[in-house]
Amino acid sequence: MTIQSDQAKVKASNWQTQVLEYCLRIGNFFCFAGWAWGHLYWEPSYASILWSEASFEWFQQFGYSWEEFTGTGANDGLIQKCIQWIGWICVANAVLSFTARRNSWIQLCLLTSGSLFMLAVAVAKYIRSGFELPMLIEHGGQILSPILLVMALSIGVRNRITTMTAIIAVMMTFGGHGLYAVGLWPTPATFVGMTRVVIGWDYDASKLFLLVAGVLDFIVCFGVLIPFLRRSSALYAMIWGIVTAAARPVAGMSWELNYWGADQFLHESAYRAPHFFIPLFLYLYWTYTKVQHSFGSLTLETKDMTLPSTTK
Amino acid sequence: MRNRIFASLIILLIANTVVGQNRRRVDLSIPEVDRKDVICFALYTVHDQTLKLTAQLYPLKNDEVRLARLEIKKEGNWVEVAQTEVIEQGWTAPFRVAKWDDANTWQYRVRHGEQAVYEGTIRRNPTDKDEIVVAGFTGNSIMPAHGGDISRQDILDNIQRINADILFFAGDQVYDHKRHYAAWLKFGRDFGDIIKDRPTICLPDDHDVGQPNLWGESGKISTLRGAADGGYAQPGLYVQEVERAQTSHLPDPADPHKIGQDISVYFTNLNWGNIDFAILEDRKFKTGPAGRVPKQGPRPDHIRNPEYDPVSVDVEGAILLGKRQLAFLKSWTQDWQNAKMKVALSQTIFCGGAHIHGSASGRLHADMDSNGWPQSGRNRAIDALRKGFAFHLAGDQHLATIFHHGVNEHRDAIWSFCVPSIANLYLRWWAPLEAGANREDNMPEYTGDHLDGFGNKVTNYAAANPEKKPAGNILNTRSAGFGIVRLNTKTREITMECWPRNVDITSDDAQQYPGWPRTISQLDNYHPRSWGKMKEFQFDYAHPVVQLVDNETDEVLYTIRAQNSFFTPHAPLNREFTIKVGKDSPDRVITTSAKAKK
Repeated sequence: MTIQSDQAKVKASNWQTQVLEYCLRIGNFFCFAGWAWGHLYWEPSYASILWSEASFEWFQQFGYSWEEFTGTGANDGLIQKCIQWIGWICVANAVLSFTARRNSWIQLCLLTSGSLFMLAVAVAKYIRSGFELPMLIEHGGQILSPILLVMALSIGVRNRITTMTAIIAVMMTFGGHGLYAVGLWPTPATFVGMTRVVIGWDYDASKLFLLVAGVLDFIVCFGVLIPFLRRSSALYAMIWGIVTAAARPVAGMSWELNYWGADQFLHESAYRAPHFFIPLFLYLYWTYTKVQHSFGSLTLETKDMTLPSTTK
Repeated sequence: MRNRIFASLIILLIANTVVGQNRRRVDLSIPEVDRKDVICFALYTVHDQTLKLTAQLYPLKNDEVRLARLEIKKEGNWVEVAQTEVIEQGWTAPFRVAKWDDANTWQYRVRHGEQAVYEGTIRRNPTDKDEIVVAGFTGNSIMPAHGGDISRQDILDNIQRINADILFFAGDQVYDHKRHYAAWLKFGRDFGDIIKDRPTICLPDDHDVGQPNLWGESGKISTLRGAADGGYAQPGLYVQEVERAQTSHLPDPADPHKIGQDISVYFTNLNWGNIDFAILEDRKFKTGPAGRVPKQGPRPDHIRNPEYDPVSVDVEGAILLGKRQLAFLKSWTQDWQNAKMKVALSQTIFCGGAHIHGSASGRLHADMDSNGWPQSGRNRAIDALRKGFAFHLAGDQHLATIFHHGVNEHRDAIWSFCVPSIANLYLRWWAPLEAGANREDNMPEYTGDHLDGFGNKVTNYAAANPEKKPAGNILNTRSAGFGIVRLNTKTREITMECWPRNVDITSDDAQQYPGWPRTISQLDNYHPRSWGKMKEFQFDYAHPVVQLVDNETDEVLYTIRAQNSFFTPHAPLNREFTIKVGKDSPDRVITTSAKAKK
């Protein structure tokens, strides 16, 4: 190998690292931007958990009165304020998706707390669903998205831990979806409803379609672990992630609605961005690895550690 | 650091809630029953000499016949009068028997196979009774946290004590959004003992069909969380099963054309004891607000901004009852065959009947899940109902109220009674910020003339507000209970009673919620204060049907069966009316130039 060809490989590796990083940055950005919209413009889906007597009893321990907790009508109570604060935390996390760098530890810590926030959201939705396990599992992609970005920035996008975390994120998202879609837990009515509206099929055909999609979800879960299947599995996961995220606005938006219904539905797609950006990350990573293996014996992971964040 | 502390707090809160939820979960498993007990309960109505009875079965085994039989006891012997196939999806057995003799009481039994027997009584039509007693219920939460696990035996005992003539379940009989069948069986086990012996009307509401709110939009598929985009969140098959279980025993629908997803309609009327009940579906055709009205709060169906312009949400094309039901109401209010009084039954009342929503969610200016929205549709509905002096009985609000509604002026339309929840899942309060105008002496400030959050004219007479922080008696501090309506066909008076749970309502010291009982006249349902009176008309037969038609518009002002053989019509001033009368329908003109005077 000549010095020149080594430099070309490093240059290519740098560029690819940037692409991989941006997959995670963009996915995380849209995820938190979507949730920010859901908090600041609408009410988050888990809000009913906060609006419960159990919550009030808990906050009462800290001296909050009924009016302080609920608001009086003339002003917001703790609940409304909490939702607003959380919304702004989401905005901050969305911004951090692009500003965080390898050595900016404060930003990385804040991003990590984004995973904790997403875990809390997932648990809240899990409770609301009546403790349906797939509800918790399917949020794996969104929960792990910030921490995946932190890993990519701090230990490298090609680090084995980073890629394994990405694989786990995909497996959780698609495993959760699959458990619902095949009916091991009751298939959410919206799955069938969206299928019917988007494709126009009747109930039975839609159920069959979801069953097939559910089986494919499981195949993806195993496929990403099998070397000769992993690229095609990741590619399928990316496409299916886009389709399922897009199904919300496609099914719900209409020319007749104010803003065509965009304010109601687009953020539902946005916060599902990790469902297709993480598979895209894996697909590209495995594609680049394959190409670079065919180049020669340059150890990319080692290189990645020496040339980590190209946007320094 | 603050972020981490906050996140820790959230996790602790959620963990606390998880533990709490686990402690309070409800067992909705379907019990394995002996084959002799495979019929859980049965509901029925009799209307126009037609009996409709639906038996609700536990799941049948593969080798069991799918045939159910209905027998009645004639001269000491059981005689089969009908057979029907058991519909597997929901395990219902709907019977229909024409030419039913409603002048007599009959013992009946539903049979399945050789062993299963379920017995009850088909009552005779109580046309000779002066007072028809209706028991009204809503909101049957089974969650222990709301007292839902407390036995319903007090309700059963009270209904037996007063021997109610008819039962009305206004909605939310089932709160489980995925297991209607299992929850419906539990409902049957809880209430079957009173349902089996008297006509029962059930209206499925939002929770029954598996969603938190319902704007049916003629059967559209809803895909938005919360379903404010309109339509049904659950598949049509699920909705069909729910409606089959809860409404297939109702009289045949007035206009049976199906809506989207092959969902049936059931709006109709039931004449019992000379009371003509209109059974309405105020959710089925209603438009969803999301994307149709300007955003006024954190939910597309909630208005939090008290400064908003109510006219801005009364958007063109938004539907409440829909053309088909309005057409039905038009003919129903003019039809007084065998009817002395009229009552409309629907899921909820035609106004925003609460200000503070949820155990902790604070003040809400207006809620589009109520029938106060869309305002034009609300006005059309109560304008149609007042033309027959219909009293409105409903539920859903989780808050018992009495309202006198207004369209053009306060108190110019029908009265409504929203009954309290059996067990109150979700607390609401009627708490206007300003005192009501024209209150009765010594009445609370929340009574009197108000505008609801949509600008609708309403006059409140009572509200069973729960305690601000319910504690102790988990049912009654949350204002749980039931309503009784006494319809006196002789005096034409309507008495509303609102009872808490676990009291003997026949005992002398039993107390109703503050504001009840209240008695009104049938005529109060359409008696604007600006109107005047005409001269008294005498007839040569008792109880004629009288109709006033506006000469200028040719529209019917109202139709009513007179209480006596004379009648003094009331009507708007400075307008001329044609008066028609008849024994059963207004087919004879007696004057074409009647005018009212102050």
